[in-house]
Amino acid sequence: MPSGKPLTREEFDSMAAQMGISGEPAYLDELFSQVRGIVTGADSLREMDVSNAEPDMVFVPPSA
Amino acid sequence: MDELEICYMSAGDLSRLVSKKEISPVEIVDAHLSRIQATEPVLNSFITLLADEAGASARQAERDIQSGRYRGPLHGIPVGLKDLYNTRGVRTTSGSKIFDNFLPEEDCTVAVRFREAGAILLGKLNMHQFALGPTGENPDYGHMHNPWNPEMVSGGSSGGSGSAAAAGQCTITTGSDTGGSIRIPAALCGIVGLKPTYGLVSRHGLTPLSWSLDHPGPMVRTVEDAALAMNAIAGYDPKDVASANVTVPDYTEALTEDVRGLRIGVPKEYFEVPLDPEVRQSVQNALSQLESMGAEVREVSFPMFEQSQAISTAILLAEAAAYYRDVVEKDGDKVYEPVRLRLEAGRFISAADYLRAQQARSLFDREARQLLNEVDLLAGPTEPVTAPKLLAGTVIAGEHEVGTVGALTQYTRPFNITGFPAISVPCGFSSSGLPIGLQLAGRPFDELTVLRAAYAYERATDWHKRRPDI
Repeated sequence: MPSGKPLTREEFDSMAAQMGISGEPAYLDELFSQVRGIVTGADSLREMDVSNAEPDMVFVPPSA
Repeated sequence: MDELEICYMSAGDLSRLVSKKEISPVEIVDAHLSRIQATEPVLNSFITLLADEAGASARQAERDIQSGRYRGPLHGIPVGLKDLYNTRGVRTTSGSKIFDNFLPEEDCTVAVRFREAGAILLGKLNMHQFALGPTGENPDYGHMHNPWNPEMVSGGSSGGSGSAAAAGQCTITTGSDTGGSIRIPAALCGIVGLKPTYGLVSRHGLTPLSWSLDHPGPMVRTVEDAALAMNAIAGYDPKDVASANVTVPDYTEALTEDVRGLRIGVPKEYFEVPLDPEVRQSVQNALSQLESMGAEVREVSFPMFEQSQAISTAILLAEAAAYYRDVVEKDGDKVYEPVRLRLEAGRFISAADYLRAQQARSLFDREARQLLNEVDLLAGPTEPVTAPKLLAGTVIAGEHEVGTVGALTQYTRPFNITGFPAISVPCGFSSSGLPIGLQLAGRPFDELTVLRAAYAYERATDWHKRRPDI
């Protein structure tokens, strides 16, 4: 997924086609809107300094 | 005894009568089946009702108890399971007609443990399709309705569990909580919902939504019943790779009514996001109540709270998209469109972004742990609003109009990210008569402290005694 700039409709259409995602125009419009929201959220995470954090793949209880 | 009284008795109170043979499991089950028959046309809490099977189990329980084989507090008590808990030979749909004919060959661990405790399975409860939504929408089996006002949502995704418990259709119900799906319907329906620590209750035999965020747990009308349910279902299960091999206490030890010396932190960030003024006031009243009982209530700061939506969304939708990819590719046209949209949107999350969200989750977890070194519990609203109207895309929270999904999960998802235990307990009603919930979250595996505070608050108030007019 592109980062640092808003996802364009052309980029979205290209990615959706590669993934085999299809639908009526209204459906794809709504999907595009939701994906842009996710991209915005992902961008906010990219602004965080996570250099000292390993991915927390599974919560490991301290006393387990 | 009046049937309606039976239906609104807690498991604790019923069990005290059952153990003394003052009421039989047959009476209890019959009362609940009548209640379901009377209210189900409005609420739509159940996908599958097991009336005949429950009747047979009740007669067996009665024979066992009469002959001295009493199994304990859940013997003869009606239980309902969200319809993503596998039940051997009983269809388990995950809220979709795609799985209308799925008959599991094995019970999930929670079902096994309830059965071993003598509980009687009344049926399988309705849910937001695939558990992917906080409102209780389901076109395949019908939307769920709130017992306090059927024009409003029951909440989701465990909406049928919330409405069934609140309306006296079932004594103990279960939910699964990935972003709030136990606590949201609990708050909106005015009941108690406990999301236990990740790994404490087995996920074996539950349809996943997001492997690293899914938590099974009880939804009931009293804190005592949450403790009794946890006594039955908590504990290590080698069939669940995430199951924690920890000592499980007797959760009823938490029922002391004593919160003296308990340190309760209230994140100031909770009150910097859209929040209904009536909810704010009810929660502040609840905190004052706890303070008057001897708890030390103080403001704390939880800066990473604002990152919870981005972290949760990236992890949840990526994992859900992975799990449901084959289903959507094969039968996408049969999936409820808002659910399908979220599942397909999840496919646009790259592996790098997913892992970055998991890195951010580590930082989030670190900050939450530091906070819980300073205080014993974190407290605040479970929900920023009362139950929204069915199918409303937005809600009004204070002066803001915000998206329903984001609003309903804003206070709950942080504790799916951390895996810490969190409970919603009734703490008031709006002027329109809709319930409001207080959320209390604690340290990992410290359900005793969470239950202790919730119980003490519940005993000091009477919100849990109110009944919907249905």
